[in-house]
Amino acid sequence: MIMINRKWLTLMLCAGLAASMAGCGSSGNSNKEGAAGGAAEQTAGAQKESGSKPELKTLNIWSKDDYNTYTLAKVVEEQTGYKVKYEMLPADKAMDKLNLLISSAEPYDVITITGEKAAYTDYAKMGALVDLTPLIDKYGENIKASISPESFEAMKVDGKIYAIPNRSSEFVGSSLMIRTDWLDKLGLKMPATLEELTAVLKAFKEKDPGGNGDKGAPLSIDGAQATIANITGAFGIAAGWSEVDGKLVAAPLQPGFKEYLSYVADLYKQGLLDKEFAVNKDATLKEKFTSGRVGVIPLPWYDIPGIADALTKNFPDAKYAYVPALKGKDGQAGLGMSGGFDRLTFIPKSSKHPEDAIKWINAKLDKDTFKLIAIGEEGKHFTYKDGVYSPILPLFTDERGLASNYLTGIDEKLYPVYWQARVQKDPRLFAGFTFLNSGIPAEYRISDPLALAPSLPEYSKNNASLNQMINDFAVKVIVGEESTDAVEAFIGKYNAAGGEASSKEVNEWYASVKK
Amino acid sequence: MGTGATELNRKSRAAAARSRAASKWRIAWRNRDYYVLLIPGLLFLLLFKYTPLYGVLIAFQDFNIFDGIRGSEWVGLEQFHKLVQSEEFGQVFMNTLLISVYKIVLLFPVPILIALVLNEVRLMFFKRTIQTIIYLPHFLSWVIISGLFVTILSTSGGLVNNIIQWFGGEPISFFVSNQYFRSLVVFTAGWKEVGWNAIVFIAAIAGIDQEQYEAASIDGAGRIRRMLYISLPGILPTVVLMFILRLGSVLDAGTEQILTMYNPVVYETADVIGTFVYRIGLGKMDYSFSTAVGLFNSVVGFILIVSGNYISRKLLKRGIW
Amino acid sequence: MTKRTKGDLLLDIGVYAFLIALGLIMLLPLASVFSKSVSEEWAITSGKVGILPVGFQLDTLMQVISSSVFIRAFCISVGVTAVGTLISILMTALTAYPLSKRNLPGISFCMVLFIFTMLFSGGLIPNYLLMRQLHLVDNLWVLILPGMISVFNMLVIKSYYESLPEALEESARIDGAKTYTILFRIILPLSMPVIATIALFYAVGYWNDYFGPMIYINDTALKTLQLYLQDVVMDANNANLTNKSIDDLMNMSPEGIRAATVVASTVPILLVYPFMQKYFIKGVLIGSVKG
Repeated sequence: MIMINRKWLTLMLCAGLAASMAGCGSSGNSNKEGAAGGAAEQTAGAQKESGSKPELKTLNIWSKDDYNTYTLAKVVEEQTGYKVKYEMLPADKAMDKLNLLISSAEPYDVITITGEKAAYTDYAKMGALVDLTPLIDKYGENIKASISPESFEAMKVDGKIYAIPNRSSEFVGSSLMIRTDWLDKLGLKMPATLEELTAVLKAFKEKDPGGNGDKGAPLSIDGAQATIANITGAFGIAAGWSEVDGKLVAAPLQPGFKEYLSYVADLYKQGLLDKEFAVNKDATLKEKFTSGRVGVIPLPWYDIPGIADALTKNFPDAKYAYVPALKGKDGQAGLGMSGGFDRLTFIPKSSKHPEDAIKWINAKLDKDTFKLIAIGEEGKHFTYKDGVYSPILPLFTDERGLASNYLTGIDEKLYPVYWQARVQKDPRLFAGFTFLNSGIPAEYRISDPLALAPSLPEYSKNNASLNQMINDFAVKVIVGEESTDAVEAFIGKYNAAGGEASSKEVNEWYASVKK
Repeated sequence: MGTGATELNRKSRAAAARSRAASKWRIAWRNRDYYVLLIPGLLFLLLFKYTPLYGVLIAFQDFNIFDGIRGSEWVGLEQFHKLVQSEEFGQVFMNTLLISVYKIVLLFPVPILIALVLNEVRLMFFKRTIQTIIYLPHFLSWVIISGLFVTILSTSGGLVNNIIQWFGGEPISFFVSNQYFRSLVVFTAGWKEVGWNAIVFIAAIAGIDQEQYEAASIDGAGRIRRMLYISLPGILPTVVLMFILRLGSVLDAGTEQILTMYNPVVYETADVIGTFVYRIGLGKMDYSFSTAVGLFNSVVGFILIVSGNYISRKLLKRGIW
Repeated sequence: MTKRTKGDLLLDIGVYAFLIALGLIMLLPLASVFSKSVSEEWAITSGKVGILPVGFQLDTLMQVISSSVFIRAFCISVGVTAVGTLISILMTALTAYPLSKRNLPGISFCMVLFIFTMLFSGGLIPNYLLMRQLHLVDNLWVLILPGMISVFNMLVIKSYYESLPEALEESARIDGAKTYTILFRIILPLSMPVIATIALFYAVGYWNDYFGPMIYINDTALKTLQLYLQDVVMDANNANLTNKSIDDLMNMSPEGIRAATVVASTVPILLVYPFMQKYFIKGVLIGSVKG
């Protein structure tokens, strides 16, 4: 029996420990809440003078830092006079959670999501959102001055505006990055056409300029992006949709799609494209490039610093550059540009303070306030010279790195200029960005014709699963599991799975704007 | 005469039934302490498990989250038809069954073996170290494990292919080979979970009465005999329990795992119900369809558990209930 | 004590070889996760980090564990896990006891009621609505109460109770002991190996729970560690699936940070097992009770 008692003693000890730990957790909480409460009282006191301003509850997209404690929360509060409680969606399954919160009418005053127009349109149609048109008229002077009618047009659902968009600047995001020191070593020129690219890849494979002995493929891509930036341009399918004879046609339905697939499948067959590309995730791709196993990968410019660090550590003589827009057989070339909207901010019907929410959004778009939130104070966070904003590091990154999370609507003329400060955080990144967005002739930078389209329910509903279908099919053809002749059959399936309905809807809209 | 006899018979049977019922109540009343102990558990069950159960109705609707269950349109079995009639369903269903059965056949015995083998280790330090090491992989998420294995099995510089090449073999692209992919799924699932699953058997062995071993050893039984005739029968109830429960998840071949590991090249062998449903539902928020698929899986699982329990009671004289 | 036969020796060799091989297969891939958390970022990017770290440094790890979001989430997870595990063990051990008396009328039916819930659930939406009605949304109890009894764990205990010699209970009853006394003074103390096991299962379950906090917790101040970890890991994984803006992509955590977050949030729960292992020492208790 003594044995047993000792066991029970241990159990009790565990219990005690657990209770004390729980204490640590909850006391930590209550302290924090107490502090927050105190702060709230103070601001409440301050507010009495300037008319009572309620605390606003906002829902935002996921961020690795807590919105409530990041420097900008305080800046926004000081500038607008509103105390704000920020909550955020998870990084994974964000839309599931958002649906749940909106359908159960959680009382958020302001909700900001990524540019998911599909979800936004759904909510608006279901009557879950507040019509902002009259509110903006009444309280939204700065909003009207900052956001173009064009953007508002794209937000209209049944003629009413339910969201304030953050329009993203249009730019080329990604292209093929090549090891130029390999080119030099073999006495080759930077490829300018598809044929030259094939020749370069062959030379890379046979002559092994990386000197790693294995005769692996010199080009690797991300398995989830089987439509390779820059190469697609040479086949006229740089953007997901493009105009053919006055109508918008999706990439798989264009002749270039089949030609593109047979070109890449041929690369694969010749051993020029990574045998295992289908498995590659972003990290595997970077790993292969920086360890010198492949010489060409598609790479977005914002990933340049990480790649550059690793590459020069491993190969001090390594040099790299973006391949210019490659020309196809009839001189076609192009790089797709991103565009559209990267944040949408709306007010759900369940909001307790819709008017204050609009006032808050409006206050943040005041010229000085907006600048302060977006890039901070001159001399502290940035310097201004010859029309260029340059960041002062590391304070800029520390205190304004997450600024885009606090922007509910942007000044569409000024923000792209401010935003350049972000790109200048790293000179290598800046060089890549500049090359893609001014080094490449404007006619080769292809914009997305649907970027500013209004909500298109069929299109938005099917877009994700159709894109997955296209990618799956492309991968199968490239590895030779399906032949290029299967394209016709695939188009049939694509249309049946919503492709046709999307196309009809897209073109109805397109015809209406072209008039 | 004949009718009278049956009449009498019926009466006495009814009386017997009544008295049996009465005696049941009497037994129950005498043991009321046990039922009192059961109350909190049953309340918990009622509140948190059975109250929300009306949600399965979504499977028979074209559910709209804003209209709720009351407002949504009823569509009968349409969602189930959508699943069963889709072109890929046959393939997907077969893949699910195959992967699941492989997992059960190959992986179910491993934790038992580990537990038995660990029981033979006398060096306490060694035993604890191994126990701890083999349970570690359970704590990594599939995203990370998948990344690990992509690196280890890579054809360009991966450890395993380096070894294969060192022995003069051709490198194998495990992740993009329809021939190897299922084996890969089974192996990685085993890697992640066998150590963890062994714990329950290790605990069961710990519960075996030590005197049995001593008695057997006095009778001159060797260690292998003791393992086979004492340890194994000693954990048999746990084995049966685990096996029956495992049957319940036959239609879940490891959706999360496969989702992070597969790619279009191996859809032919790797696409299972869960991944298929995920892909076609991408960005659509089709609650009804996913609920219908879930319900389908549950019904099949429940039938398997009930039959498994029935068979086990007939054959082994023991079951879960 | 007993003579070592040749068979025993062979068995020993087999046993140790098997376990060492198993241990290595499990440990080697794991080592690389740990190594990544203490390696230089450039080495991770280029895949140089294998079993051993490259360019050893602890800055990343320190950066992760000193962030206020991490510390707060850690505290919450420890609290929820500790309280949850205690409540769960108590509830489960109590409920399993009557269910182990399968000869009593109605018990089989109750058993089926429990097992039914292992397979059928109402799904996300009704559950969320229920939690809202119970005022459990944004309340840490929501992470404990709905999962208080795991039927799986209960079956494990139940099956253990059934394996205990019946004679023990009978003799206690003859001595006049009541049901509750028997449960607390005889059954539970004898069940330490299995209680330790399910304590481990519960602790790990509470610690690793990601779905519950994701759905029922909106307040950033109440986020658990696992939610934080999942978000950091999945954020990178979903990069090309979701509509991310360039700014979000530029702000993504590098792989070193992710590996360090994995290590920092997993190591604490790993420590539970070695602590539980001492309860796995076999059979001691039965002997002591009988003696």
